[in-house]
Amino acid sequence: MPIPTATMDNPNPVIFSSKKDIRREVRSIWIDSSEEFIDAAEEGDNLPEVIDEDEIYDLLRSITDPEHPSTTLEQLGVVTAEQIKISGNHISVRFTPTVPHCGMATLIGLSLRVRLLRSLPARFRVDITVKEGSHQSESALNKQLNDKERVAAALENTTLLDVVNGCLATANLRGRDPIDAA
Amino acid sequence: MRLGRENAELTGHEDRTWHLAWNPKHPLLASCSADKSVRLFSYGTQNGLLDSPKFNPATSIPSVHSRTVRSVAWSPSGKSLATASFDSTVSIWERSSGSDDDGTASSGEWECVSTLEGHESECKSVGYSFNGSLLASCSRDKSVWIWEVQPDADFECISVLMEHTQDVKCIAWHPKEEILASASYDDTIKLYLDDPEDDWYPFTTLTGHTSTVWSLSFSPSGRYLASCSSDLSIKIWQREQAPGNRGEKWTCQLTIPNAHSRAIYSVSWTIAQEASAGSDEELGWLASGGEDGRINIWQIQAPEKSSGSNSSLRYSLLVSQSSAHGVADVNAVAWCPRDGFRDLLGSVGDDGLLRVWRIELDVVQMGPKSNKIVHLHYTLRELVLWDDL
Repeated sequence: MPIPTATMDNPNPVIFSSKKDIRREVRSIWIDSSEEFIDAAEEGDNLPEVIDEDEIYDLLRSITDPEHPSTTLEQLGVVTAEQIKISGNHISVRFTPTVPHCGMATLIGLSLRVRLLRSLPARFRVDITVKEGSHQSESALNKQLNDKERVAAALENTTLLDVVNGCLATANLRGRDPIDAA
Repeated sequence: MRLGRENAELTGHEDRTWHLAWNPKHPLLASCSADKSVRLFSYGTQNGLLDSPKFNPATSIPSVHSRTVRSVAWSPSGKSLATASFDSTVSIWERSSGSDDDGTASSGEWECVSTLEGHESECKSVGYSFNGSLLASCSRDKSVWIWEVQPDADFECISVLMEHTQDVKCIAWHPKEEILASASYDDTIKLYLDDPEDDWYPFTTLTGHTSTVWSLSFSPSGRYLASCSSDLSIKIWQREQAPGNRGEKWTCQLTIPNAHSRAIYSVSWTIAQEASAGSDEELGWLASGGEDGRINIWQIQAPEKSSGSNSSLRYSLLVSQSSAHGVADVNAVAWCPRDGFRDLLGSVGDDGLLRVWRIELDVVQMGPKSNKIVHLHYTLRELVLWDDL
């Protein structure tokens, strides 16, 4: 898997405004705190079943792009609420790389997977794919991102894990502005 | 189908458990994990049978591996254990000298007697040939290596097979001959033979799966090979003699579509148990496990005699055990290969646990007006792994 280099695949991405209105009246079942991962993993089974598409979107929207560490996947239009589907314990997440030759797509997909692995109860099965026609290596990417052995091996690579953790550092903002959150 | 759960949750590995292997000679079972360790479990026997359905942790091998231990395999003698790791090496373990040979937990310590280096990336699978003279390993580096097992824990690489175009997920040796099979992320299976005057070579490529092939298991007779895939199917390939064509070919005789609802990670083949053994000893039972958390047991049968020579194999689902590891994936299933214990099935999962099941005949349904058996109903009963919790 690639790690960020000095050469950018997309130096000037289009920035979308954060969709504040996506937040629902029913508040997230997750508590916004630094311990949310633990809360989610340990208490998930005891909580009411309100894990819906919006909840998944909230978990993913504030992950940052490995190539643009100050820009979220929501702002880049890489993840959108419309590309998330839930059916029972099956979650399907599609994402749209900013450019079809994006060398960071594997890393973005891996970050999405790790975020959900750490946040959701173990009963969920997650498929992560790139939007049809959005990447030149679409099928290879999809296969790699959904091979649990390859994902497990990748996450034993400390360099790669550091990059993923970097992308996830802001994930618990859930769409809020970092200044508001502070 | 029901599960007779006789024990509570048991603490196992500290992380995802990937694989398990039954010792072919001694009452020992090995499992390996992402926690980098290998654990051995022993079970009590009396007069060649299980004396109580209890399995006890014998020892934890503080692995020399620096990363996940992905797969384990015993030598046919039961004296050596091979481990394959994401750290790209294979290690060979033997019990230190001075120990008795009864295979009990109180015998000597297991020590690493050899480390096989050569693969360039994660090693995924390892296995001994039927007579223990060869060892094979495979890796994400797309290669399969064949090693000659020499005295004093010495191993010499005799062949490096670079036939797959992707990650090699699994290898399997034929139970009676020196035939090797490998399965890959490139969706294919390859079979290899040794040319006595030259090198090992791939004599056929089996295509048909439409996604990663995760696991292989030869039938006990060696006439069939089972494969399972992320394409949700299990396929059975049959050996056919084809003189002049470098020996032989294998053809797909049966596809079980949608055998699981998510990726199928493991298959294991055994001879059928007594009650149904009359049907066809050569075929027997196939266990499968996967990402949907199920363990399925399939009875594979020969074609109906009346339906002509071109008809294919038949299958029926004997048992389908849901939530075999709670909400976790089932990563591997393996039947015990020892006489008297062939009704035991081990499984491991993402919950870090090793579970042992016994397949039991539950209900025999007789025909309404005759004594003819119309249906045999089986159950997987989980056995107690240890009792001091």
